[in-house]
Amino acid sequence: MEQQPAHVLLIEDNPGDADLVRLRLVESNPPVQVDCVRKLSEALKALAADTPSLVLLDLNLPDSRGAETFRRVLEKAPDVPVVILSGQDDENLAIKAVHQGVQDYLIKGDITSKHLDRALRYAIERQALLRALDMTRKQQLEFKNRFLSHVSHELRTPLTCIHQYVTLLLDGLAGPLGAEQADHLRTVLKSVTQLHAMIRDLLEATRAETGKLRVEPRCISLGQLIEQAVTMMRPAADGKRVRLETVVDPTIPLVHADPDRILEVLINLLDNAVKFTPAEGSITVKASMVETDPSAVYISVADTGHGISPQALPRIFERLFQDSESVESNRSGLGLGLYIAKEIVALHGGRMWAASEPGQGSTFSFHLPVYSLARLLAPVITEEGRLRPSFVLARAHLKPVTTPPLGNWKEFCQQVLELLRRCVYVDKDLVLPPMGSTGADQTFYVVASTDMERVAIMLRRIREQVNALPQAGGASTIELSATPLAAILTSPAQTLEQQVQAVANSVTDMILAELPGPRARETKGGNENGSLNTN
Amino acid sequence: MDLLTPIDESTATLPLRQRSKIMIVDDDPALRQALTLRLRANDYQTVNACDGYSALALALRERPDLILLDLGLPAGDGFTILAHLRQFPALSLIPVIVLTARDPLANERPALESGAVAFFQKPADNEELLGVIRICLEAGSAWGGKLPS
Repeated sequence: MEQQPAHVLLIEDNPGDADLVRLRLVESNPPVQVDCVRKLSEALKALAADTPSLVLLDLNLPDSRGAETFRRVLEKAPDVPVVILSGQDDENLAIKAVHQGVQDYLIKGDITSKHLDRALRYAIERQALLRALDMTRKQQLEFKNRFLSHVSHELRTPLTCIHQYVTLLLDGLAGPLGAEQADHLRTVLKSVTQLHAMIRDLLEATRAETGKLRVEPRCISLGQLIEQAVTMMRPAADGKRVRLETVVDPTIPLVHADPDRILEVLINLLDNAVKFTPAEGSITVKASMVETDPSAVYISVADTGHGISPQALPRIFERLFQDSESVESNRSGLGLGLYIAKEIVALHGGRMWAASEPGQGSTFSFHLPVYSLARLLAPVITEEGRLRPSFVLARAHLKPVTTPPLGNWKEFCQQVLELLRRCVYVDKDLVLPPMGSTGADQTFYVVASTDMERVAIMLRRIREQVNALPQAGGASTIELSATPLAAILTSPAQTLEQQVQAVANSVTDMILAELPGPRARETKGGNENGSLNTN
Repeated sequence: MDLLTPIDESTATLPLRQRSKIMIVDDDPALRQALTLRLRANDYQTVNACDGYSALALALRERPDLILLDLGLPAGDGFTILAHLRQFPALSLIPVIVLTARDPLANERPALESGAVAFFQKPADNEELLGVIRICLEAGSAWGGKLPS
């Protein structure tokens, strides 16, 4: 559908040039309404108030010059076609402008009325086509995602039925089964589980694509998480006679990540590694600090498998990608696992990459952000430029009685966290952000700049209020306890910042030691006697 | 137990007071039957409803100890049932466990806020589901059958 440039916003500071353009446009048929402004600021204001059919733009204005001018205009009115009319014959700038979405770059003095009229009409046509294309693309994406979401939910209904009847048979609820029959049914159940995983992946990939994938970061022990993943994958590795080793740097502090999601990533990488590593091969999970960046940790899963061909390597994280060269013919997934893993890591602010030498093996690596307690602790553990004399680490451990938890568990945990914040002294104590590992259990920590006597009073107060919460009875158990922090050895030579860091390290060590896993260390002397439990 | 003979849902109630009675609400007859077999094998009585309307009528007549509720149902979906259950004092204390194919991301929170005590996406793990049912029935009155959100 052809459109005429009915309403042109001319942005031109030179009155002579402006008149010339106006004259040329008035000659066109049908005539065009031309509004002229002299400054970028006026132009932006005009664009906010009204949408012209086209913007004709000079780049050098009193309040803006060069590329900045068209960048600001495009940003303000992304749907309006923009044609630059410049005195400057700058091919590089013209190309840059077109790449960023400008429709044309015309040189003043080179154009006749007819040229200008035609250039403007074509610019409008092109912009309209682009918009239509963009709309179609968006609609298709939306349709595809709705379709995938719908299908994956609809698939669950018959899948549930198969799952129910197969488990009924396997559990002997429809009479005794022969060994062979049971064996066949277990094969069916395995396929049901695979199909279920695929449906989940399909939905996850759709969510990743539409930005609906969510992570809930907490402060976690990476060592514990790796241990958990390795324990889960060990039977599969043993079954294939593949060695599974971990090399975890014990100095890694708390990491800020969603434990369930990162476990999913680790399981995914380990599952691939086991699949592509032949018998007698080995898989190594490593975790260490990043030398160049103290705010990140490095995690890798390396195998001695077949490796990835150089052609396949750059595409390995693409959706639905499956290496056709792969020696492994036993495909049991959709080819979405690595795509989802990479997206999950990206949501944590990290990145994931792969390296491989065909025949030698592959290494998948990613970064995760470290959680810095020192920054958080600084205001509460110092007073008049020095450290407070003693600290106690108090904790509230929330455990649901069932899996999954009854009621609105997340909401309940949030209520407990808010309650803790109300029960502490704001200027002396700090409720740490949620800590913990996978699953529903939650542990909240309070660093209190005080002694055990006062903490005991604080815990009693917390206990009373927790018991008053509606969900507290029956659905969960809540343990409250406290341990004094071992005296922090500081020397006068240390800056206050270093002393705060020492306290933060001590708190981190204690928390990491409490969470089970390879980081678990012996409790420091003296802590044991002073511990406090009120259940 | 014979899998091929459909269970007569109208006379499914056994007059045994000591066994807990669970009402299954699902529009898929095959799944209703499978759940019935599973629950009876675990010594529960069951009654079944296939849509929102009959679910409410049956709940009023049978007074189940627990309701296993699908969300996508004809004649009044799961949320409608949850809302109606709240309005009857006699029914408002019955714990409701949602078992649905729907996305938990969009439905779990609303279901819990509407009074369900737990949310399972299909296919659910049998042991987890039975565990939650058992705890709900044991502790049923401890929190009045409802866990306020």
